[in-house]
Amino acid sequence: MKIYIPMDSAAKALGVEEVATAIRTAAPEAEIIRTGTRGMIWLEPLVEVEIDGERHGYGPATVGDVAGILDGSSVKALGPVADLDWMRRQTRLTFARVGVIDPLSLADYEAHGGLAGLRRALGMDGAGIVAEVTRSGLRGRGGAGFPTGIKWKTVQEAQAPQKYIVCNADEGDSGTFADRMIMEGDPFTLIEGMAIAGLGVGATRGYVYLRSEYPDAIAVMRRAVEIARGAGVLGADVLGSGRAFDMEIRVGAGAYVCGEETSLLNSLEGKRGVVRAKPPLPALEGFLGRPTVVNNVISLATVPVIFEKGAAYYADFGLGRSRGTVTLQIAGNVARGGLFETAFGITLGEVVNDLGGGTLTGRPVKAVQVGGPLGAYIPVGNFDAALGYEELDAKGGLLGHAGLVVFDDGADMLGMARFAMEFCAVESCGKCTPCRIGAVRGVETIDRIAAGDGAAIPLLTDLCETMKDGSLCALGGLTPLPVMSALTHFPDDFATRREAAE
Amino acid sequence: MKDFIIPTERDMGTPAKVGAPVTLEIDGVAVTVPEGTSVLRAAAEAGIPIPKLCASDNLEAFGSCRLCVVEIEGRRGTPASCTTPVTPGMVVHTGSAKVRKIRRGVMELYISDHPLDCLTCSANGDCELQDMAGAVGLRDVRYEAPNNGGMVNHFAPRTTSGEANPEWLPKDDSNPYFSYDPSKCIVCNRCVRACEEVQGTFALTIAGRGFDSRVKAGGAGDDFLASDCVSCGACVQACPTAALQEKSIIEIGTPDRAVITTCAYCGVGCSFRAEMNGDTLVRMVPYKHGKANRGHSCVKGRFAYGYAHHKDRILKPMTRERISDPWREVSWDEALSFAATRMRSLQAQYGRKSIGVITSSRCTNEETYLVQKLARAVFGNNNTDTCARVCHSPTGYGLGQTFGTSAGTQDFDSVEQTDVVIVIGANPTDGHPVFASRLKKRLRAGAKLIVVDPRRIDLVKSPHIAAAHHLPLRPGTNVAVVSALAHVIVTEGLMDEAFIRARCDWDEFQHYAEFISNPRHSPEATALLTGVDPVELRAAARLFATSGNGAIYYGLGVTEHSQGSTTVMGIANLAMLTGNIGRPGVGVNPLRGQNNVQGACDMGSFPHELPGYRHIKGPEVRAIFEEAWGVQIDAEPGLRIPNMLDAAVDGTFKGLYCQGEDIL
Amino acid sequence: MTEPAADEIDAILRAHLHLEGPLLPILHAMQEACGHIPEAAHRPIAEALNISRAELHGVISFYHDFRAKPAGRHVLRICRAEACQAVGGAALAEATLAKLGLEWRGTTANGAVTVEPVYCLGLCACAPAAMLDGRVVGRVDSARMDALLAEAGA
Repeated sequence: MKIYIPMDSAAKALGVEEVATAIRTAAPEAEIIRTGTRGMIWLEPLVEVEIDGERHGYGPATVGDVAGILDGSSVKALGPVADLDWMRRQTRLTFARVGVIDPLSLADYEAHGGLAGLRRALGMDGAGIVAEVTRSGLRGRGGAGFPTGIKWKTVQEAQAPQKYIVCNADEGDSGTFADRMIMEGDPFTLIEGMAIAGLGVGATRGYVYLRSEYPDAIAVMRRAVEIARGAGVLGADVLGSGRAFDMEIRVGAGAYVCGEETSLLNSLEGKRGVVRAKPPLPALEGFLGRPTVVNNVISLATVPVIFEKGAAYYADFGLGRSRGTVTLQIAGNVARGGLFETAFGITLGEVVNDLGGGTLTGRPVKAVQVGGPLGAYIPVGNFDAALGYEELDAKGGLLGHAGLVVFDDGADMLGMARFAMEFCAVESCGKCTPCRIGAVRGVETIDRIAAGDGAAIPLLTDLCETMKDGSLCALGGLTPLPVMSALTHFPDDFATRREAAE
Repeated sequence: MKDFIIPTERDMGTPAKVGAPVTLEIDGVAVTVPEGTSVLRAAAEAGIPIPKLCASDNLEAFGSCRLCVVEIEGRRGTPASCTTPVTPGMVVHTGSAKVRKIRRGVMELYISDHPLDCLTCSANGDCELQDMAGAVGLRDVRYEAPNNGGMVNHFAPRTTSGEANPEWLPKDDSNPYFSYDPSKCIVCNRCVRACEEVQGTFALTIAGRGFDSRVKAGGAGDDFLASDCVSCGACVQACPTAALQEKSIIEIGTPDRAVITTCAYCGVGCSFRAEMNGDTLVRMVPYKHGKANRGHSCVKGRFAYGYAHHKDRILKPMTRERISDPWREVSWDEALSFAATRMRSLQAQYGRKSIGVITSSRCTNEETYLVQKLARAVFGNNNTDTCARVCHSPTGYGLGQTFGTSAGTQDFDSVEQTDVVIVIGANPTDGHPVFASRLKKRLRAGAKLIVVDPRRIDLVKSPHIAAAHHLPLRPGTNVAVVSALAHVIVTEGLMDEAFIRARCDWDEFQHYAEFISNPRHSPEATALLTGVDPVELRAAARLFATSGNGAIYYGLGVTEHSQGSTTVMGIANLAMLTGNIGRPGVGVNPLRGQNNVQGACDMGSFPHELPGYRHIKGPEVRAIFEEAWGVQIDAEPGLRIPNMLDAAVDGTFKGLYCQGEDIL
Repeated sequence: MTEPAADEIDAILRAHLHLEGPLLPILHAMQEACGHIPEAAHRPIAEALNISRAELHGVISFYHDFRAKPAGRHVLRICRAEACQAVGGAALAEATLAKLGLEWRGTTANGAVTVEPVYCLGLCACAPAAMLDGRVVGRVDSARMDALLAEAGA
């Protein structure tokens, strides 16, 4: 009997370890394989039992369900996991193996298409590798959506004795967990992506800057790097090619702003994680002043499939200038939360109502914050917005890392606007004035509005303009987005208290 | 003549660059600046001031204050002009409605966290924050406390509810010369950057982050005095507000005029603005156009100016008949005729050569020139000498022998272009601090350092500085070490043959090469004597010979040894051997004891040399001066300082005119 | 667990000095070993990395992870971010702090638990989330929170 049990931290947070222990006790002869999560977090812990070569799901599983799962009588039976609507409707390219394979089995990884991309890349020169990425249309999945191929080309063409690949795994945005999920569920794909990037731009060293809030991801990634090094995937002679690439996992220390690439580089160098002015671009003067590719986890983890299946195959998905797939993370007050990988272009309404099944509380949806704490609160009236970089931008939103946090009608949007300012104040690096002082004044000004001081509303609007246009980086520059979207779309939340006070 | 035109004190915002010319348009004005120049500086060059607070032309652009934002056609957003380099054809607008609104919005935030005590503030009238508030037209600060509490700030010791304000920090008066008032800090980082980039001590940091970010001296729990701060004053100089302020300004008030002068403490010779309030010296500020210091200072020049108003200072001429008499204040007329009459009567009684002069290397060229002329043209003898002949006479002799002139070969700016430096017998961070800061800056930019000194001096290892090689030789073995370095260079074929053929005497060099190649000069052979690890010495020699521009700096640890002259000659040979003479970034650089040793020597202060090192015995030389001065010049060299003293004891030397020198 | 001996500090330094940008790994290792970054380690770290004590202080004080003093025996981190707020995270956090009589970053009188805010644990689809030491917990309600506190001995 083959039983697949996730070891993703979402599953752990929902009690999978107790279930796993119970299964081991009840079926000591069973072959238990630990996997990542399929991304259907509302079904976690999701235990899968292989029956006639097909994996049948049971979830959300509790210790009490174990006997039923083992004898097939459980009421939590979901049928073959691959046939579930959530799975069938996805285009899993980047996340194809997540939840399927044992994250730390290199053999499993290879059996599911792993290393094919790297092998193909080893047959290409640097310019060819960069051209392939450019052709795929891949854009940075960290939030800014900058074309990955152009960034790589800049680094590739730079002359330097040492270049670096730095993976930004400082996934601090609330509502996002795709980076964590792939690092815990398919770490070799990130390693392979970084190795291809290294071969492409001529970098022999790589770093993953991983936030300290993800202890499980840190453990899996560290082990995976050791395994990859032991198997010759990393090291002085990548897969016997004679070309070198090696990497290390580095841990952040509790600073959201280090998700900004220049702060991240400062932090990696052992400095205060303050934002650097650009230029110089990190692509030319990055880690230790050397040319550096800084890419998000998902961007790098998508590279292997582009090389495995070809740039054209990948670019075939999507809409407009947003090519390939987007890994939506559906979170917050939602009935069915999780990760859903699909071609760009799906509408917000479809994601929230159809996939997500509306709110967890069953109350009407009030707003969805798209793109993390620096993303806009989008009202139900704009749910026809298609999820693409430009498409959402046109609606005053920001796709960011494609996290969606759903709120029901109990949400207090003035409170959420205040929190946006408070978060900016907590996490500001303190270098530029609009962010350092502005965020604190923002909290106070919203408090004035809450207390009925209507005159503070134009001041808040002016402050948001100063922060947006005057800040050094996106933290101060985009905090006005959630604030102003809350104020614009939910004016009643900013007015009722004033009236009550009057 | 250009050097005599005093340049402006205007801050250009970012450092000057060297590069191909780039032309752009700023507010309709075509501006051409070197490649790499910031838009902020380009605008300043065109006379267009862009508001700024965190930018300064002695610090790399930082981009934090966000006042210098501009609009650039074809670019999104409003980039900071300090961190944006110019590009050809760029069209910049520095005063659009949009950027003016941003500046006003940013300034409103600044002032919302700043005490409004301008009238009683020690920086009143000399405050960039105040100037910028005016420049951006800030008229109103609309931020107010919400009902549920006070406005968070750094300047009020107590909150509106009477509790201690956790953001407020008390003034730090621990440094004797300046105070740090955190309540007036705007976190522009200029002080921290000045301590790092200009001084190179890294005594300051920003502690905390976000709104809690504060300038902090030293480690946890330190105040300024307990920190690594060396009181160079660069941070005070950099501060745009009263957060870091000289205590003298707080006590006396702001100055109303300034006199450019030269610091007399060490051999660097920093230029200063002596800032005065009436006749009271309020502070000494390093002069940004000073060629030795380029706007930097050390604690001595910056703060140790108590002599200016010291009660012991002699302000009026005084005379006395004999040593047992008390001094008597007299008029200048009386003093001058007293001295002249007495000197003349001494000569009448004891002979022409019974009097002489001593001048100082702390005096200007004009002053020393006149003093030697007094001896030669008026006294009619060559009894003139200077301290410069004493401390660095090995330099004078050694370089005279090897180069034909006793001068060091470079100015202090030269260090900015050096690639590898040998420091021998000097401790610049203590002895020549401003030069040390300039050297450290170059080392942080990648130049390599070899320290030849028995001591583990600061340059061997200090934050962000580490010597590539430290050769801790036994005292007295300079010649052996310098020869061993040359031995390695010659025997390993690392010398610059083209330079030697073109600029030295190739045949003479053969003798030298044969001599120095003798195995008894090898690092291995001399190790027992010098105590220097031969492996390390060989590596140092190779590094020096193969790393580009090589410069040698040396001090009294070379010259005040019995083999001082020989070591200087060895150093000169090392420079010629490696082709390190005759361009910026290289050379033989004596670190002198006083700021005008070179000038005092140039001006003819020695008993055997007329101005320009022309020997007194040459009739054709004397003829030039005899014609110019209209007098006969004595052909015999005069007395050196020790001879004067000996002669005085013997009773043949009876009168001395002593300028700026304490020979006792 | 609190004040390290000089040779322990040296061992940590030696293990990391070959890294590019070794400071954060050193500080993490130091905190792992001592529960905080002891002041006794400042000078050796600064000297080993050839940075000033001021720079070191600047770095340590920038990152919220690094402590100047040891925390309680357990650290409970409660997520304050938006996804958790969408399902009652703020009320849960307030109730927990009120029950323990603590402010954020406070430690219970018996030294058992320090409660800290955290901004996202990546458990946004099973919010509200918390982490007790290294262990993640999702869909935290007051019953689960009570169980966690009991386990930690608060």
